[in-house]
Amino acid sequence: MKRFVAMLLVVAMVFSMAACGKKQETSAEQGKVFNIYAWNEEFKGFFEKYYTVPEGVTVNWIINPSDNGVYQQKLDEALLKQADAPADEKIDLFLAEADYIGKYVDSEYTMDISSFGFQNADTQYEYTVKAASDANGVCKGVSFQCCPAAVIYRKSIAKEVLGTDVPEEVQAKLDSWEKFDAVAADAKAKGYYMTASFAETFRAFSNNCTKPWVDENNNLQFDDQILAWIDQTDKYIENGYTLTAGVWDKEKTDQMFKDGKTMCFFGPAWYYNFCMTNAQDAENGCVGDWSIVKGPQAYFWGGTWLLAATGSDNTEMLKDIFETFTVNEDVCSKLVENENQYPNNTKVVEKYANDANYGNTSILDGQNDIAIFSELAKDIKWENHTNYDQLLNEGLQNKLQEFYNGSVDKDTAMKNFYNYVKETYANINVPEN
Amino acid sequence: MKETKRKKDGRQSVSYAKWGYIFIAPFFLVYFVFTLIPQFLTIYNSFFETYRDGLKQIGPNFVGLQNYITLFTPDADGIIRILKYASNTMIMWVAGALPQFVIALLLAIFFTSYRLNIKGQGFFKTVIYMPNLIMAAAFSMLFFTLFTRGGPIQMYLAETGAINQTFDFFSNRVTVRGMIALMNFLMWFGNTTIVLMAGIMGIDQSLFESATLDGANAVQVFFKVTMPLLMPIFVYCLITAMIGGIQMFDVPQVLTKGNGAPDELSRTLVMYLNGYLTNKNYGMAGAISVIIFIITGILGGIVYKMLSAQYKDPEQK
Repeated sequence: MKRFVAMLLVVAMVFSMAACGKKQETSAEQGKVFNIYAWNEEFKGFFEKYYTVPEGVTVNWIINPSDNGVYQQKLDEALLKQADAPADEKIDLFLAEADYIGKYVDSEYTMDISSFGFQNADTQYEYTVKAASDANGVCKGVSFQCCPAAVIYRKSIAKEVLGTDVPEEVQAKLDSWEKFDAVAADAKAKGYYMTASFAETFRAFSNNCTKPWVDENNNLQFDDQILAWIDQTDKYIENGYTLTAGVWDKEKTDQMFKDGKTMCFFGPAWYYNFCMTNAQDAENGCVGDWSIVKGPQAYFWGGTWLLAATGSDNTEMLKDIFETFTVNEDVCSKLVENENQYPNNTKVVEKYANDANYGNTSILDGQNDIAIFSELAKDIKWENHTNYDQLLNEGLQNKLQEFYNGSVDKDTAMKNFYNYVKETYANINVPEN
Repeated sequence: MKETKRKKDGRQSVSYAKWGYIFIAPFFLVYFVFTLIPQFLTIYNSFFETYRDGLKQIGPNFVGLQNYITLFTPDADGIIRILKYASNTMIMWVAGALPQFVIALLLAIFFTSYRLNIKGQGFFKTVIYMPNLIMAAAFSMLFFTLFTRGGPIQMYLAETGAINQTFDFFSNRVTVRGMIALMNFLMWFGNTTIVLMAGIMGIDQSLFESATLDGANAVQVFFKVTMPLLMPIFVYCLITAMIGGIQMFDVPQVLTKGNGAPDELSRTLVMYLNGYLTNKNYGMAGAISVIIFIITGILGGIVYKMLSAQYKDPEQK
């Protein structure tokens, strides 16, 4: 028996060694393993559907959640070890969000996409290229989406509150924050909420900031837009125009069911699939009861960039992927038609924006949302971003949420926020507290 | 089997003692490399300013005791945050450990009692141990989903009128701390029960029988026979539970999404430490670790002294 086990072990060892030898032989030019770091499954879904992986290449997805900066921490660890990692373990591609893309773009850990022959097409939105370019204008990646954001409203509730559900007329009644606030009061009087989360309008303000979160001396600073958001939210909570739920909370998304009492949601095209699954629920959803308008202030929200990691041994594949999701009109069209996305390809966008037969029926009432988004996309500028945005935006919302749900007073909430900043970023100076 | 030859004068006898050392060497080696060295590195790091700004490493610059001074400097309201988190940790641990030990002791006595002779012990032991097998994070996630606003329990209680419609379990310190204590209790009482049972079964049955024959009632047997003899195991359980309690992290971290809401009243020492690790601030995190180490040492010493003084082995008097 013993002898048999020993033989078995020897055989197993010989086989595994043989397998190793084989692997090394064939990995001459391009790598056989393609590693992608991401924080959710969104892009993975599109990738698996629309990109054909070259024969013999295994794709590894390493997915870590974005909350509390976990994704960035894991990614940083891997990038710092990238130089010493074996070829098959090196990161080839990683995803980054608007809130912290600069941290990676302005580093040696991302590579010039022209180094492997990818040229940015002029069909890409300029801000998406600017965001992925370092201080010298060297571009390190592409975005597969463009994220102009709008007000997404419930038609049946708008009809009751505003007396109309026609987008042009609704827009006329919501085209400034004063009007928006006045409508919120009407909605309340009729038993509805204007928004379903205290932070719903945050991005509409924060992505219009005229100064970054920290100044040149690393002092934390509040832009007027952020202060305006706090003022508005104070009022909305006090008057019961909104709920104390966070943007991603169940209490908020439950408001998207048929029996929800909320009129307005704020989001870009990715919001449909990512946040509005309740609205698409077969039984309790309300597909077709939605339209979009520009709302009080044009803004954008989020976006997922694909960045090329320095040291990747799969550059041909990188080039292929970038082309598939930006230049390839067929794939970009499918992203619009099948996935409710707003692609980063102006040519495809124009095709749908000018197509009288196109309409979004998977969630909206058949309205041509691409036409509206394409107008908004023209105004997007990439400025006043810092590498700290994600955790500062997240932290401010989390700490203020405690004030809005009544567990602390506002001073304490702000103090807790300053402490959080001090703890998270030792180099940022916060006001004395 | 070879027989060891032993000469009369014993000079050439084979010493087996070295085998003892060889067999325990792996443990000491692993302990040295993975515990002792990191421990010293932590203390060393706590005297430096060292963190990352994005992907850039800042430091390490020697700053002496600055990290400790920062930790113990009160803010404008006179609050020293590390003490606040230490007291949160202790409150939540005690709230969970008290029922944990009371129930575990009761169960251990029931299960080992020759008079009750409970049937199906294997089944009960498995069931009470079960919660310990679930990952703390998963358990915490479950509680979050159940109690969050719009979650089943909150909805049910609101509908039956037991709580206000807008009541939020996560913005009230009593409920948040209560949930954390409850989870820790549920996860650990089974484990404690099993260990205490082993301790009780190690006591000579004849002592219980003779105490009963002498007319001692159950309470007297418990305090005069069981407890004194169980004390070494009990103290061991208590101290390990306390060390685990001081390092409480995963349950509150997942339950409050790392915020320690409300007003950081459910934030524990290790959550505080973890906050500094976001940007690899090993200086401040190191200083907190050292403080936790000292607290653990002091509390462990106190518990040991107090309990072992109370129940002294009569033979040692």
